[in-house]
Amino acid sequence: MERRLQQLFFGLSILALVLIVAAAYQANTPTWKNYQRNFHQLEAQGEPNEVTKAAVLATPPEIHQVMLTGLQRVDRCTTCHLGVEDPTMKNAPEPFRFHAGLGSHVPSKFGCTICHGGQGLATDKDGAHGKVDFWPNPLLSKDYVRASCGRCHKEGEVPGVPELTEGRHLFETQGCRGCHKLNGVGGSIGPDLTAEGANHRAPEWLERHFLAPNVISAGSAMPNFHFTKEQARELTYYMLSLTSEDMGTYYSSVRSIPGPAFGRQLFIEKNCITCHNVGGVGLKSGPDLQGVTKKHSTEWLDEQLVNPELVYPGSSMPEYDLEPNARKALVAYLEVATPEDVQLILSNKTRALTPQDVAIEAGKQNFSRFGCVGCHGTELQGGVANPNAQGGEVPSLLHLSDDYTKDEVLAVIRNGRVPPLDNPNGPPPPLYMPSWKHVLSDEDINRIGDYLWSKQQVKKDSW
Amino acid sequence: MNLFREIWQSIVRRDPLSTDKGKSELVFLNVWLHIHPAKVKKENMKFRHSFYLGFITFFLFLILVTTGIVLMVYYRPYPSAAYQDMKDLEFVVFMGPFLRGMHRWAAHGMVVCVFLHMCRVFYTGSYKKPRQFNWVVGVFLFLLTLGLSFTGYLLPWDQLAYWAITVGSNIGSYAPLVGGQLREWLLGGHSVGEAALIRFYVLHVAVLPAAMILFTIVHFWRVRKDGGLSRPIWKLQDPKPAQLVTIGAPAAAAAPLQTVPASSTKTYGLMEVVTGKPIFETVTPEEEEDTVFSYPYAFVREAVALMITVTGIMMMSLFFHAPLEELANPAKTPNPAKAPWYFLGLQELVSHSAMLGGVVAPALMVLALLAIPYIDRNPSRRPNDRKWAIWLFTFFVVVNLVLIVVGTFFRGPGWALVPPWVHVTAGAE
Repeated sequence: MERRLQQLFFGLSILALVLIVAAAYQANTPTWKNYQRNFHQLEAQGEPNEVTKAAVLATPPEIHQVMLTGLQRVDRCTTCHLGVEDPTMKNAPEPFRFHAGLGSHVPSKFGCTICHGGQGLATDKDGAHGKVDFWPNPLLSKDYVRASCGRCHKEGEVPGVPELTEGRHLFETQGCRGCHKLNGVGGSIGPDLTAEGANHRAPEWLERHFLAPNVISAGSAMPNFHFTKEQARELTYYMLSLTSEDMGTYYSSVRSIPGPAFGRQLFIEKNCITCHNVGGVGLKSGPDLQGVTKKHSTEWLDEQLVNPELVYPGSSMPEYDLEPNARKALVAYLEVATPEDVQLILSNKTRALTPQDVAIEAGKQNFSRFGCVGCHGTELQGGVANPNAQGGEVPSLLHLSDDYTKDEVLAVIRNGRVPPLDNPNGPPPPLYMPSWKHVLSDEDINRIGDYLWSKQQVKKDSW
Repeated sequence: MNLFREIWQSIVRRDPLSTDKGKSELVFLNVWLHIHPAKVKKENMKFRHSFYLGFITFFLFLILVTTGIVLMVYYRPYPSAAYQDMKDLEFVVFMGPFLRGMHRWAAHGMVVCVFLHMCRVFYTGSYKKPRQFNWVVGVFLFLLTLGLSFTGYLLPWDQLAYWAITVGSNIGSYAPLVGGQLREWLLGGHSVGEAALIRFYVLHVAVLPAAMILFTIVHFWRVRKDGGLSRPIWKLQDPKPAQLVTIGAPAAAAAPLQTVPASSTKTYGLMEVVTGKPIFETVTPEEEEDTVFSYPYAFVREAVALMITVTGIMMMSLFFHAPLEELANPAKTPNPAKAPWYFLGLQELVSHSAMLGGVVAPALMVLALLAIPYIDRNPSRRPNDRKWAIWLFTFFVVVNLVLIVVGTFFRGPGWALVPPWVHVTAGAE
């Protein structure tokens, strides 16, 4: 017995040793070492000098990583994808192929996962490509990878990615903000989309969702906007780009690096001139902007652009949801803006605006910014299906003046309204008019009223 | 040559191991081995008496301390770094997955072995006089084991960790009056966050291990002082409890011990000064026949138990990696969110009644465990004499196991009863 026990102890000790060696072997033979060996062989192939060749082949295996503190990530992709920055690897097989067309976006400064997704920390193929359990961010397919450009290129046109530019435009014009919040601005009927891209939904899901919201997520109150396939893809691109990650100033797009030129473009885009004037040129409902940078500090102006009401209680200036760099650019433009330049901007408009036009124009902007168009349509035509509401759809706003006074309409905007039911015993209709009095200032609401009244089609034949 | 000999003899001062004196001195001249008696009862060492569960538990603790210290080198206890450090262990630290696996499996193993050890001690009646207090110390060691496992559970900072601790600490908060306070004190806030992570870390690597070591010392000391390992039940010839006898002392009925005045010319040993009966079981001459030297008899068995434990844990770690889920996300609750498995019995109870399951049942269970040696006045350790105790204990063990199994395998989204063979994909919406 005692002898047997001693033998058992001896045997188990050997087994423990074997297990440690096995674990060490397992740890010492990761697949990335094979890839590196293959890569060095590939490199050595074209090498005429024997000494260099031997040196290349003898390169010790090591993990390559790009530490991207500005992007809060560490990418180890180049441990296997060794040729991404080496043009001689243009025709090499994957994973060694050169990444063409990167321009200034070199992996050593941007890493890989910021665009491609996947798991930068991983050093095995499945793990790195994010095709494993518990990694919610798999590689984006070729069709959608360009959506990632929008993570840094947050404003203006995105070069080479018209889908993104167009997607953003659709978002702002189709009234998405009426139901969805983005960076704190918007309604709360639908989910907040500020970090929608961080949810890592499959792009295909998003695309189908835009084509038929109700079919994809049952019971969704989101109306079918009858987007085309292209529009659905554009919106999908935009959604994928919304990760709310802080990219740091280094990574912000060149276009939005603060400069008066970009500021001027924003000044035009955001229609500042419909309220403000510069040295008397422009409209007078907002303050004169000439010399405003001398009157106020940069911080004050920045704050004013973020949250006008906070700086000027009762201010009717809307929140514009501008990026920090965009705000800097705008302030930079205000510093150099001259009446002559603004005159030039104005002259590009078809005709000079009257104060009445301004109110209507501002109302129209509010109407799309706050998402009224989501249900009532860009042309006030209504028609979005709303089961069990009277008429079964959201009413057109083109004939309001037949049944209501302007004050009554303003009251409905202020207080909201549940549409009368078609079948009083049926379920309440999914869409209803929310109360806007806590969201919009009275002036904003009045402007929307002005806009609506400017569009009323009086039924002439009714008399 | 003489110098080497001198050095060796300055370290090892015992006689050769071929002699009985040498075998004894090996034990009591060595600080690490002297927790053993020089001689042990042969039968007590039988596998089918103790299953070496206490040893295995202790060896698992040693593995945990060793691997834990190495893991500390790679771990930073704040949320933005903790999860990345886990990933680094998985992907770039040499033998990192193996290391983490060993720590994880040894931790689970320790919870299991402590539980089994307690069952063994109960079923053999080994908590009875004079070992009552050591059972109480053992219950505290059990609670400390759970505490260590629970605090360690949070450290990877993944979804599994985050929500298990959220659910686990919620169970604690059902205690009346102090529950909420206790939870806030433990988490350093109202929810699991940065403050909770550093608190759990400190508890896990400093406070609880220190307490564990102190209680373990007391536990081992008391094993010796209470007369060594209990006799196997098949060796209990006398239906009476272990009798306290003093060899050579007059019987209780005889004249009291005489007190001899101390002599100023003699040096006294402790045994000569102290009067009264010893509190522990002593060896009768018949039993003396039955003993062997600890070296090598006990040591080789312990060494085999150690190697089985170590190789077992190594094999587990080689073939099964410790799980790591997604980064902790307070905004995304998994459905169902489950506590660590050993608390799933409690969570199951809580799902029926928060007050009863979260407060009354666990409090009663701990109190009952602590009180077992004082409630059970039956002096006999023979199974036939304590059927009631055995049935009752078995009932509680089975109920607990059933609850844990139901909680672990039969609970799906919304804590609905779902058999494990039905694959459920929890909707993301």
